[in-house]
Amino acid sequence: MTDTRTPLLRMVEITKTFPGVRALDRVTFQVDPGEVHGLVGENGAGKSTLMKILTGALQPDSGTIELRGRPVRIPDPGTGQRLGIAIIHQELTVLPELSVAENIFLGREPTGPLGLVDWSRLYRQTQALLERLDIDLDPRIRVGELTIAQQQMVEIAKALSLNADLLAMDEPTSALTERETEILFRLIQGLRDQGVTVIYISHRLEEIFQICDRITVLRDGRHIATRPVQELTPQEVVRLMVGRAITEMYPPPGQAPGPVRLEVRNLHRPPRLHGASLTLRSGEILGLAGLVGSGRTDLARAIFGVDPVERGEIRVHGRPVTLRSPADAMALGMGFVPEDRKSQGLFLQMTVRQNTVIARLKELSGRLLGLIDFRRARTEALRLVEELDIRTPSLEQTVRNLSGGNQQKIIIARWMARAPSILILDEPTRGIDVGAKAEIHALMRGLADQGVAILMISSELPEVLGVSDRVLVMREGRIVAEFHREEATQDQVMLYATGSLERLPGPPEAQA
Amino acid sequence: MSQATAVPGTSWNFRDYLQRFGILISFVLLCIALSLLSDRFLTVSNGVNVLRQITVNGIIAVGMTYVILIGDIDLSVGSVLALTSVVTADLLQKGVPVPAALGLGIGLGMALGAVNGWITVRFQVPSFITTLGMLTAARGMALTYTQGRPITGLPDGFRFLGRGEPLGIPMPILLAALVFAAAWVMLRRTRHGEYLYAMGNNPVAARLVGIHTGRYRVLVFTLSGGLSALAGLILTARLDSAQPTAGVAFELDAIAAVVLGGTRFTGGVGGLGGTLLGALIIGVLDNGINLLNISPLYEQIVKGAVIALALLIHRRAE
Amino acid sequence: MRRHLWIASLALFALLLAACQPVAGPPPAAEQPEAPAPEKPVIGLALSTLNNPFFVDLRDGAQEAAEALGVELIVVDAQDDPAAQAASIEDLIQRGVDALILNPTDSDAIVPSVEAANQAGIPVFTVDRAANGGEIVSHIASDNVAGGRMAAEFLCDALGGQGKVVELEGIPGTSAARDRGQGFNEYMGENCPGVEIVARQTANFNRAEGLTVFENILQAQPEIDGVFAHNDEMVLGAIQAAEAAGRADEIVFVGFDAIDDAVQAVREGKLAATVAQQPREMGRLAVETAVKSLQGEEVPEYIPVPLALVTAETVK
Repeated sequence: MTDTRTPLLRMVEITKTFPGVRALDRVTFQVDPGEVHGLVGENGAGKSTLMKILTGALQPDSGTIELRGRPVRIPDPGTGQRLGIAIIHQELTVLPELSVAENIFLGREPTGPLGLVDWSRLYRQTQALLERLDIDLDPRIRVGELTIAQQQMVEIAKALSLNADLLAMDEPTSALTERETEILFRLIQGLRDQGVTVIYISHRLEEIFQICDRITVLRDGRHIATRPVQELTPQEVVRLMVGRAITEMYPPPGQAPGPVRLEVRNLHRPPRLHGASLTLRSGEILGLAGLVGSGRTDLARAIFGVDPVERGEIRVHGRPVTLRSPADAMALGMGFVPEDRKSQGLFLQMTVRQNTVIARLKELSGRLLGLIDFRRARTEALRLVEELDIRTPSLEQTVRNLSGGNQQKIIIARWMARAPSILILDEPTRGIDVGAKAEIHALMRGLADQGVAILMISSELPEVLGVSDRVLVMREGRIVAEFHREEATQDQVMLYATGSLERLPGPPEAQA
Repeated sequence: MSQATAVPGTSWNFRDYLQRFGILISFVLLCIALSLLSDRFLTVSNGVNVLRQITVNGIIAVGMTYVILIGDIDLSVGSVLALTSVVTADLLQKGVPVPAALGLGIGLGMALGAVNGWITVRFQVPSFITTLGMLTAARGMALTYTQGRPITGLPDGFRFLGRGEPLGIPMPILLAALVFAAAWVMLRRTRHGEYLYAMGNNPVAARLVGIHTGRYRVLVFTLSGGLSALAGLILTARLDSAQPTAGVAFELDAIAAVVLGGTRFTGGVGGLGGTLLGALIIGVLDNGINLLNISPLYEQIVKGAVIALALLIHRRAE
Repeated sequence: MRRHLWIASLALFALLLAACQPVAGPPPAAEQPEAPAPEKPVIGLALSTLNNPFFVDLRDGAQEAAEALGVELIVVDAQDDPAAQAASIEDLIQRGVDALILNPTDSDAIVPSVEAANQAGIPVFTVDRAANGGEIVSHIASDNVAGGRMAAEFLCDALGGQGKVVELEGIPGTSAARDRGQGFNEYMGENCPGVEIVARQTANFNRAEGLTVFENILQAQPEIDGVFAHNDEMVLGAIQAAEAAGRADEIVFVGFDAIDDAVQAVREGKLAATVAQQPREMGRLAVETAVKSLQGEEVPEYIPVPLALVTAETVK
């Protein structure tokens, strides 16, 4: 049905081989002008490779690229830019010390007669651009002071200021709250109305279905399908992506929770924590919802002894404790999976074995000299790799080369190795594919069934509601609502998280 | 999918090997070239000679490897070496028994290192700044202590450290070998070593898995100070003289050996094997320049070119 | 955290101060007289470094002369840092000294300071190291070329006009290394055809490098009869290398500068000779020349400071 129009982009029979593996195998990918085109597939399916070839960061082994019906070569990113192709990466490339305007026009600032930057013109141009895109930002503000979502807007504005008419976005919502995602979607729709074509890569199928016109599915480096979104259901897309049907997205709830493992009373740590309290029981998964900046991560860090608290009480197994460092929390049987696995969790240049048992090394090494018992370390690591189905060619593999899902499993394995009684997970499935996500959810449930008390923070409401036995909602450093699994709905949680719901007589401190 | 993740991995390992062999290749090429140019190069006595000469830089570079592995830098090694040397020599001349003087000297080095580490950790100052301060302060103290004059004429028991040959092996080589071996075991066979790699890789994550990163940082600087002192004592024993001006720019040689050996400046990657090769390349190069009687005017050009070439060969792999 | 940084830098600063202060030297008598007589002329002496005994001696000689002649001497130490030297000379000019004796850290970098003094009408003298510009009343320095010749003559005689000799050079490009080498090689070329220079390597005026470089040369040269080093530090290192290799007895060592350790080595018979620069003499001559000039006398542009050979005979 689209054959009548000339496609904006045709990538034909693209093949790319890395030593030993075919990352892309004769993939043909076609995008029509003015559409929002979803590109989905599990990690390793070849999406990033395809985008790198499109932007000129990589060269294909074979295959051709046509832009507006004309064959083109894109030997480097500069050429891609000149052809009107821009990409917004998952990791943003803005310069935090510079202003919005400087970031957008970096290297292209309007100059006066002496070659000096003409600041007023720079700000005027930026203002005009932002207005055209309907982005509400002050061109003079330092980018470091903006939220991630706003920084992303800056990046998008920069791409469009280069007259890009083909914009690829790689997991743009992975660090955004629901509300910010809404704003981003409005921006994307606005862009489409102005004739910009968008390639949208995401693991979040709801988003794909909400924003995209057509969907292309890749699997194992092959093109599987391209169809209009109306002809597909999320279940079908998942089936196309993984090659099998995933019937159950979330594991069933567990049994009744056991005794109280952790009690937190009235924790204060300005500027983010203002009297947070919670109770966590053995065998339950407690979901912690809230907007970014509501203090969820701060609460988790305080409980794990990462940041000192100003006042408040933490009781573990009924005894009040003082935590000066994560080591103290670990000694009490706690584990913590931090929100950003790359910057806070992984030792990227170290091996799977090293990453897996690092928190257990004290037990796996001699007391006096600390000589590691490598046989035990490897046995233990191997057991965990098998138990969690971590896909790695060997224990000596450097973890930087594993997919996001497997990396995340390694961090979870690291804590499972210590058989913790309390496990805190901050955004445990951010940016990983559907299959791995389901595995991690099942793992968490398995641990809970063994009696581990689990506290999970997540920005994805369906995840919070699907996985948790109980849900707490946090706002402005305090717990403002508590729901049981059955009674929680996305709308309810959002209403409390955003503060729109004020009809209750004060926040329900149900656990008190 | 498992396939896709497997392969970049193997290619990385391949690069890793190439990188590790790269420095070895440079070293072997240099040795072959020198053997062809001078019949004096490839002899046992010259081999021992080169090994003996690299002991001072080698021992300092061991400490520097640790420091760089955790993402820090120690610029004070040369000054710490000078201060500990003159203090130890003075103690010896005042009749303090040799073992006690050695212990005090190395202890002083460790104390100075601990000060570096403590200030860096406690006040969150970049180690570049802290050790730059120590570089100046320790040098100043060495000069003040001696009023700028060398301390010459030390007891035989002490000079054994430089001249002795137990079991036919020169003492400096023996000591350096022991230091390398012990440091290697600690780095590659104990949890402490694995913690250091973890800290260099990701200090935030290291703390989150329960590593007392502050303590380990202080420990590493303490070790670097102690090893600088030991290197200084060997140098003093070999010269039969402690000089307040000794060790100027030694930090550069040590850093060169470490970086030439493939340890990444940002920390987390590298090791002592590479450092040993790095120190050997520098030592062999100096030796070769003297053997071939290359004019002092061209010496630095030759040296710079060879080091750049060696770095190029194995950095190509990255 | 910012406050922590402050505390840390203060602590470091204090440490630095503590370390630097005593360097000014032991005889404080002439430096800060309590009540200077109004008529007493003031002479500023800017030294490149006091980390080297040579300059400590030079300062002592200058101080003795100043005391004897009744002038006030202000000594500043640049610690081999041209910027620090420029700053301290600036201070001396501000203070209104009557004459400046400069021992430049760097012959080029000193020029602006010399010109500043010229403009302020302060006569400038250089000692040991010259300045490459500005108006200098007089330059007081050893005759390094003559010293090199003196060393060559001694070594040639000691070897009976025959043998293989190694020359350990100073830092390439420095005038001392150039002049001493020139004098040495000129004499050997003209008057001592039987001596062959088998190796010429730099050890950068440094004792530790003298040791390692000579170790390497010992590997390369099976026969060495004599060594001339451009300074004593290097020759003392070389002697250690030769002793360790058991070859010290075959070799006649000649150094330069006659530092304490070298004179001691001459006394012990390890070092055959060292050319004595006379830093005390140099300091004394510098101050005397400056005072003469202030009193209106004509002084020559260049005042060579005599050198002397220190050997087993002269040392007694």
